[in-house]
Amino acid sequence: MATQSSDKEETDLESLMQHLSEDKKAPKGRKEELLEDPFPLAKILKSASSLLVVLILSLACVAAFISRLFAVIRFESIIHEFDPWFNYRATHYMVNKGFYNFLNWFDERAWYPLGRIVGGTVYPGLMLTSGLIHYILNSLHITIHIRDVCVFLAPIFSGLTAIAMFLMTREVWSTGAGLLAAACMSIVPGYISRSVAGSYDNEGIAIFALLFTYFLWLRSVKTGSVFWATSCAISYFYMVSAWGGYVFIINLIPLHTFVLILMGRFSVRLYVAYTTFFILGLIMSMQVPFVGFQPIRTSEHMAAAGVFALINAYAFLDYVRGLVTKREFTLLFYFMVLVCAGVVFLAVLVLTWSGYVAPWSGRFYSLWDTGYAKIHIPIIASVSEHQPTTWASFFFDLHILICVFPSGIWIVLRKITDERIFLVLYGVFAAYFAGVMVRLMLTFTPIVCCLGAIAISQTLTQNFSSEEAKDTEHSNKPKPVAKTRQKGANRDKREDTTPEELDTHDDYLNSGTKNFVVMAIALILMLFTVHCTWVTSNAYSSPSIVLATQGSDGSRMILDDFREAYFWLSQNTAEDATVMSWWDYGYQIAGMGNRTTLVDNNTWNNSHIALVGMAMSSPEERAYKIMRKLGVNYVLAIFGGFIGYSGDDINKFLWMVRIAQGEHPSVIKESDYFTQNGEFRVDSEGAPTLLNCLMYKMCYYRFGEIQFDSRNPSGFDRTRNVEIGNKDISFKHLEEAYTTEHWLVRIYKVKDPSNRIVDDDAKITFRNKKTKYSPSTKKYGKRKGIVPDKLKVTKGKSYKQLTGKKVRQ
Amino acid sequence: MLLSYYTTLLSFVDAPGIKLRKPSWLKVPSPMFMYGLVLLSYFLVTGGIIYDVIVEPPSIGSANDDKGNPLPVVFLPYRVNGQYIMEGLASSFLFTLGGLGFIVLDRSFYSNSKGFPMVLQVFVGFGCILFSFIAVYFFLTMKLPGYLH
Repeated sequence: MATQSSDKEETDLESLMQHLSEDKKAPKGRKEELLEDPFPLAKILKSASSLLVVLILSLACVAAFISRLFAVIRFESIIHEFDPWFNYRATHYMVNKGFYNFLNWFDERAWYPLGRIVGGTVYPGLMLTSGLIHYILNSLHITIHIRDVCVFLAPIFSGLTAIAMFLMTREVWSTGAGLLAAACMSIVPGYISRSVAGSYDNEGIAIFALLFTYFLWLRSVKTGSVFWATSCAISYFYMVSAWGGYVFIINLIPLHTFVLILMGRFSVRLYVAYTTFFILGLIMSMQVPFVGFQPIRTSEHMAAAGVFALINAYAFLDYVRGLVTKREFTLLFYFMVLVCAGVVFLAVLVLTWSGYVAPWSGRFYSLWDTGYAKIHIPIIASVSEHQPTTWASFFFDLHILICVFPSGIWIVLRKITDERIFLVLYGVFAAYFAGVMVRLMLTFTPIVCCLGAIAISQTLTQNFSSEEAKDTEHSNKPKPVAKTRQKGANRDKREDTTPEELDTHDDYLNSGTKNFVVMAIALILMLFTVHCTWVTSNAYSSPSIVLATQGSDGSRMILDDFREAYFWLSQNTAEDATVMSWWDYGYQIAGMGNRTTLVDNNTWNNSHIALVGMAMSSPEERAYKIMRKLGVNYVLAIFGGFIGYSGDDINKFLWMVRIAQGEHPSVIKESDYFTQNGEFRVDSEGAPTLLNCLMYKMCYYRFGEIQFDSRNPSGFDRTRNVEIGNKDISFKHLEEAYTTEHWLVRIYKVKDPSNRIVDDDAKITFRNKKTKYSPSTKKYGKRKGIVPDKLKVTKGKSYKQLTGKKVRQ
Repeated sequence: MLLSYYTTLLSFVDAPGIKLRKPSWLKVPSPMFMYGLVLLSYFLVTGGIIYDVIVEPPSIGSANDDKGNPLPVVFLPYRVNGQYIMEGLASSFLFTLGGLGFIVLDRSFYSNSKGFPMVLQVFVGFGCILFSFIAVYFFLTMKLPGYLH
């Protein structure tokens, strides 16, 4: 089944590529015919080429949708991973209870005993979108479960993303490059990683909103119309309601404006676009409950306000320049600039100092000071998607595009327009951010597709034989160029491709060389699709709540332990039972098990997580005290040693220790969990603190009795490939409640305190204890004046008198 | 008005006789210079320099062969999200080389015929692209032995 689908998809993609290359030829055909036969045929061919555009775009959408279905075909239509489970639960709640109840939802099942105000701490765009789709379908009497809407939302939106990509690239370059960019965007792994079917997360719809906002921004800069700027602001509003990454937009667009002003490219178009966008965007973004007053109160948004002030000052000066003489103006200019800069700087300084403007948040700060998170916020550093990126991730996610990207910048920089500067800025900053965090690869991917497609399209255009190249140059040029800049563009064109130059090429570059180049690029693009399909199929389509392994005969075995455990929880525990686990599993327990959790993936309260971490890394007695205080009924641990699953709690354990140490440094010390040589070992040489802590005991309880085969000793941990160090584990306050088939999830029940045995001995010892520890230390501590060799000071005699006496004597 | 303000100001403040000259090195950087900077930073970022700074991996790993002799290992195997310093730099060099190949290819179309022969430019450019592409492919198969299987 799976292979079938991949075959189908590849043929789809190949046909797509063919169509793309056909599209390159299409304008040529048009031109040739145009010379012979003036009107009707040209019209037909023009409509044919636009039909081709529609066809290719819809094929790109279909390819984007189909290539994301691996997981659904292999397993079932199911929500993946961790965060999507919360989004799904929230959507479900919203669909059942209505939007206003959702906004007012206080979830007492999360962060026990604190609870969570969901309506105010969530970006509601995702839930609203899928709720709206569900509502429309149901009012059309297409009855579909909300879960299926949620599962297929991301693939549908990735199709829309491809269209947005096409629009954006066409805006700055040509239709052909736009189509290639759309095709790349639809299958590039960097985007697929966050948008496969079932990965129901904010990013899935946010990338579409991001690209569409940028497209509208470019359009509004180009036209200077209030209409496009307003559309841009509305699209920005959608983005704000969908993803916290909107900060990227509200910093990049001001940066673009700022750079344009610096380069002396200020224009009324820019002024209209930016001011409209800023004011409307600001007001609308503040309507999202989670964002609230942040746009005027946090440092992340201050750049936009600063540029707004600057562009107004600049526009004012520009106006004044027409009224005064040049000499006066220079004076005025420097005066104004100094005053403006001083006022803005002082205002920000004073506001920050007095607390009206919050300084940068930790997550944002860690983007600039890369070591910051590692030292100060272990909870951010512990998340694997916040790790810095390696070269392999770049190549894995972008393949050939990673090579083409620099030349895309080169080609774009050759003929600068306002919009192209935007692309370059976007590319440079996104590349840096992608290097800091693997997760931000997602924002880098679109620009790589855009610039890569421009570079490839340019190379292909040049290398079709020269008449074609000439023609495509001419036919493509006028389209992307704005009417207002027509003059400059015409000059550019003449500079770049004068007929003489083109003629000289014919002597040197015969068609054989050119064909070779075209063929080789086509081959590389084909390898690109193969790579994308392989990566999607093997790396990004695992639901991670269902594990798949290959049996010895190559068959696929499915380990469904997670759902088994969560189902057990929902069936066999009390309705209001509280389950303690590490925060990764909080959303899943709430979503599938429907039980109260202590901490979950919305890591807003560090000290609460640290308490759980402390309980996990303490010996049983101390852990029991903490768990009683927190009201825990069950403890859940993920153990991979039985089947060799590496993402288990023992491998995450050091993070628990680190986070606990951050809040309780006097109790938990990371060094206690290492051996003398500074190694983290679970075998008999491991640190005794580790071998007796709660997490270790929960994971390896009764594991010492198991022997997999005769070659290995009993209690052999397959993940870490060692024999465990503590096989004799018994519990005093816990009891094993449930262990899944492959031991992946182990659930323990926290016993109620046993009845106190009242006998005489106990009373006596209790009394003795009391006398022993009575607070007697105070007696000695604060009594006055028994320092043994204290000097006696006689008051009233001056130094002079004393010395005088001495002298006389 | 402003002029009168300045004249009144200067009537009782003795203007110091200094000349503020724009330093000679401060000028608008050329596009090529900027592009060079961009390319350099791109080289560093795609090589995972930030990963190297934060995680501090060794420049080259080592492993023991069957007899227990230490062997250098250039590629950290089986992990996409981990690397040694040298492999990162080597691959990002290839990425940049591929990018330069495309640029040479592009330039060959616009440069005049008097300079470097055009066919040669095309082949140099394309050689760079193909070489970097194939080399990175082999790097990845060394890192992930199951790649494309």
